[in-house]
Amino acid sequence: MNKKGGILGIIVISVIIVIVVSMSSSNNETFDVNMTRTHGSISTALGSPILGDPLAPITIVEFGDYQCHQCYNWFHNTKPMIMRDYIETGKANLVFVDFAFLGKDSSKAAQATYCADDQNMYWEYHNSLYNSQESKIDNGWANSERLKAFAFNLNLDMELFNECLDSEKYSKRVQYNSQQARDNGVRGTPGFFIVGSNYDQQQIGGAQPFSVFQRILDSVI
Amino acid sequence: MIEIFKVIFSNFKFLVLSVIIFSSMMVLLLLISEFIFLEPYFVTHIPSGSELGFILIITLSALSALVIPMNLFRITNLKNSKQKMSGSVFGSILGSAAGACSCGPIGFAMISTFGSVGATATTFLTNYEIPIRVVAIAILVITYFTTIKSLKTECKVHF
Repeated sequence: MNKKGGILGIIVISVIIVIVVSMSSSNNETFDVNMTRTHGSISTALGSPILGDPLAPITIVEFGDYQCHQCYNWFHNTKPMIMRDYIETGKANLVFVDFAFLGKDSSKAAQATYCADDQNMYWEYHNSLYNSQESKIDNGWANSERLKAFAFNLNLDMELFNECLDSEKYSKRVQYNSQQARDNGVRGTPGFFIVGSNYDQQQIGGAQPFSVFQRILDSVI
Repeated sequence: MIEIFKVIFSNFKFLVLSVIIFSSMMVLLLLISEFIFLEPYFVTHIPSGSELGFILIITLSALSALVIPMNLFRITNLKNSKQKMSGSVFGSILGSAAGACSCGPIGFAMISTFGSVGATATTFLTNYEIPIRVVAIAILVITYFTTIKSLKTECKVHF
């Protein structure tokens, strides 16, 4: 009886250990995101936090790669005017969804933004990457060391950030986002969808000037 | 030199060929490099910081439109060798290939179709876009001067 009880006890303890271990490991994979979030035909659930008023009638979904020079051009030439006229006025909001296809450092850079998001610094880190982009792909400007240096400059908790980046915690999240781009017919970066409140959506390919966005956004409003 | 131009481009066929090469190459390269957009509206723009790329495209198109008809003239009218023709075509293709990839649809198609080989080629053509275009222009300039030189000699013999 005692022997049977001992075996039963070992089994019960083993089951408890397995449950505890599986729960703790699944905690690493949970994201503080709304998995049902969509904009038009695009699942933006695993994309960036919403920039601007979440209740704005228009959402601009940007598919981008942190090593793409045309994304850099759009970030510096067009985005500031969209921010001023549409996002800061509450007419539109913006969601960035990764389409990391250009080089080996593209995915790592995208993952790093979500590690920064764990500390509520997604957009600061995003801006830091586009302000630091160098013209050559995979030349080391976005390798792990530099990504950690950007985090350090933003005063992020480096222990948390390094653990997150080194463990590739958000690798699947970036893959999911890139698949969203392919599924929605995006064939290069930057690619945009302007989604209105009635779920109509219009696609814009490339780093187009502000006048194009203005024309479409005004027609949707 | 002006006399040689007069001889070549007084022929309507070579003049039309030159205009077609210049306009088609310029429009194609400006489209690929995102200086021109056709959708959702036709729009042209030069983002700040991209001025050099724009000037190199115009220079490349103009030189191609000059050198290719000159060499075709040599081959068809003077029944001469095709050696310099290959130099001009090579220069034009090399210059066009640079920057054709980048993060646009062509780069995406290259990477999707050819995997890591496509990615390596895309990275190389993107990273060295400006130097490759400068080399292509240099090839076209060299071809231009050698063509002018040989046309001067050959025209003296033939006319």
